[in-house]
Amino acid sequence: MNLQNVNHLIHAYRIAPWRVQRQWFGSALLAVVVLAMVAALYLNVTSRTAIAGREIQDLTAAITLSQQVSSDLQTQLASLTSADAMESRALELGFRPTEPDEVEYLVVPGYVPPAPVDLSSTTLPQLSALTIPPEFNQSLLDWLDETISSSRGIQ
Amino acid sequence: MRQQYARRSQVLAGVMAFFSLAVIVQMTRIQNSPEAAVFRQQSENYAYELKTFYPNRGEIYDRNGRLLAGQKTVYEIGVDMNTMTDSHAIAFAVSDALGMDYNQILEVLQNPPEGISYIVLADFVEAQTALYLRELKTALQEQAPEGALGGLTGLQFQSHPMRSYPENALGSNILGFVNREGKGYFGVEENYDNLLAGNPVQVLVPTDPNKAFEIPRVPDGTTLILTVNRDLQASAEKILDNALYEYGAQDGVIVIMDPRSGELLAVATSRRMDLNKFWNYGVVYSNATEFNSAISKTYEPGSVSKILTMAAALDSGTVTPNTTYLDTGSVLIGGVTIQNWDQNPWGVQNMVGCLQHSLNVCMVNLAVQMGPGTFYSYMDAFGLGHLTNVDLAGESAGRLKVPGDSDWYPVDLGTNAFGQGVAVTPIQMLAAVSAVVNDGRMVTPHVLHAMVRDGRQYDVPAQFAGSPISAQTADTLTEMLAISLESESSQALVPGYRVAGKTGTAEIPVDGFYSAAQTNASFIGWGPVDDPQFMIYVWLERPTTSPWGSETAAPVFSEMAKKTVVLLDIPPDSIRQQIRASR
Repeated sequence: MNLQNVNHLIHAYRIAPWRVQRQWFGSALLAVVVLAMVAALYLNVTSRTAIAGREIQDLTAAITLSQQVSSDLQTQLASLTSADAMESRALELGFRPTEPDEVEYLVVPGYVPPAPVDLSSTTLPQLSALTIPPEFNQSLLDWLDETISSSRGIQ
Repeated sequence: MRQQYARRSQVLAGVMAFFSLAVIVQMTRIQNSPEAAVFRQQSENYAYELKTFYPNRGEIYDRNGRLLAGQKTVYEIGVDMNTMTDSHAIAFAVSDALGMDYNQILEVLQNPPEGISYIVLADFVEAQTALYLRELKTALQEQAPEGALGGLTGLQFQSHPMRSYPENALGSNILGFVNREGKGYFGVEENYDNLLAGNPVQVLVPTDPNKAFEIPRVPDGTTLILTVNRDLQASAEKILDNALYEYGAQDGVIVIMDPRSGELLAVATSRRMDLNKFWNYGVVYSNATEFNSAISKTYEPGSVSKILTMAAALDSGTVTPNTTYLDTGSVLIGGVTIQNWDQNPWGVQNMVGCLQHSLNVCMVNLAVQMGPGTFYSYMDAFGLGHLTNVDLAGESAGRLKVPGDSDWYPVDLGTNAFGQGVAVTPIQMLAAVSAVVNDGRMVTPHVLHAMVRDGRQYDVPAQFAGSPISAQTADTLTEMLAISLESESSQALVPGYRVAGKTGTAEIPVDGFYSAAQTNASFIGWGPVDDPQFMIYVWLERPTTSPWGSETAAPVFSEMAKKTVVLLDIPPDSIRQQIRASR
């Protein structure tokens, strides 16, 4: 094979300049698309986290409000059934205080006299708040930062 | 031509690349500049805010679950100066709704202190008033032209809890009150302030909602269940009020206790205040001891303390119930002649007669026979001169002079034996006499039945304060006192129920001399004798219709005992014996 043939072969298999340009352009476009995807993912995660954070704040406020309303209603109920109020209502309805000799006692086998009130809850509240896994409160950048930091730590 | 375009493109690309590079370099330079560090520092200062979460104050219930102290929502009304549009409208609306001075509000709004962006106009505003203002604000906003702001824009409402007492003045001396700063004063509110208030939690809260944080669970203050029976308390207060009126007494106390456990079922005092208006404290009381005279006010108990002298004499073996003596009507001790209440001799008497006729001479003889050492040793064991440690704030210890004290004289041995020259509180007398009722064991009076925290209830066990006398002495003395009441057909008797007890009439010193007309009339009693379930102490200060405890305090005891057996469901003796026999 002479030198002319070799040149022909090289020329025949050399990538055309427009092909090189297209490859560069394609690579750049791919990088832009990847970056856009990462940005979109980051935006999505960030916005969802923000919404979740706002919902937590709203729910906390709602819990506080419910507790206040509950306390209000409990106090109102106690006022409506206070000793004075109940006595007035009883007198209006024609009742009067009973005397010891007017009370009739019946012997009921197995009767247990009422004990003082027990205010224990049937469903006990959690003693501590649940731990939120990092996946739910960590942004992508936080995760990357933590991963890099931990890998540096290992090295 | 084509090459020319290519060159231009390359130049344009180079220029754009240069600008891009310049932008990146500039961004990097700015972000790493010293100024950027300052901004970063500033942003970190605002990245978190330190929030203090105050737990809700624990509630207070009576033994049957009736709410005695809870919470209600009140409002802080303020103005955001940055958004306020019409200071005149706000001043007018707020002054009209809250009864405040219009000009004063306007002055504050138009000339706010420098650097202030939020001004509090009023706090602890009732929900009804605050909601009225809020509706007015909304209505004005709706009436405003499109795009314009309503006249009350900037007016803000912040709700927060406030202590509320649904029973108003009922049991005010037991409960105490909480001021606007959340501090408890008097009674349970002061004594258990730390438990009720809970522990505030300080947390750094990120302002960035991206940083979802774990909201701290702030446990509410501990809820307390008292031993008090609300209905019995209401009855005791009513009976006491009637007694003060009927007997013209200046002041009074009725205390009801379960002698088996020391649980206070009712503590009624004549001076009470609506706890929802605690700022009237200074109007109702002239000094702190008046808030709960049952534990704070000391006085000379008189003949009710003869129970203690007799208990000491029996327990020390000085006498037996059948021991007799000759009552001559007077006795000389320490150079002073002591006389009986009627100044008459009662002849030969045994110890039952001694108690039945409440003979001072008999008591002096007993104290002398025991000697100061034995007598004061028993009085000390009964807790005279010591705190009972009742779990209410403001207890007084009283005073028992003993040999060796600079102000003790030999005559004191005689006078102390029948309850003069010694200062006690009603709760002390109840605690001391509980030894007689409770087989020789003294109980510690208390009002706390249980605590509720994190949904769990912890009951408080009864505490005992020693055994100054034997069970046999206690039983013997109880029988003697029951016979005494029955023999004299006392007004303290309760039909259907056998009770034991003792009257007391103590003269009050006026200008340095004891006055026969001004007395402390009292009665301490318990029942049913075979199974004591209640113990009642009645003290009337300076009754005017009669100075005698037997004619004033004794009938009040009877009335209170009748109400107590109904409210506590205690069947008459005959029924109880029937039930016992059928078992």
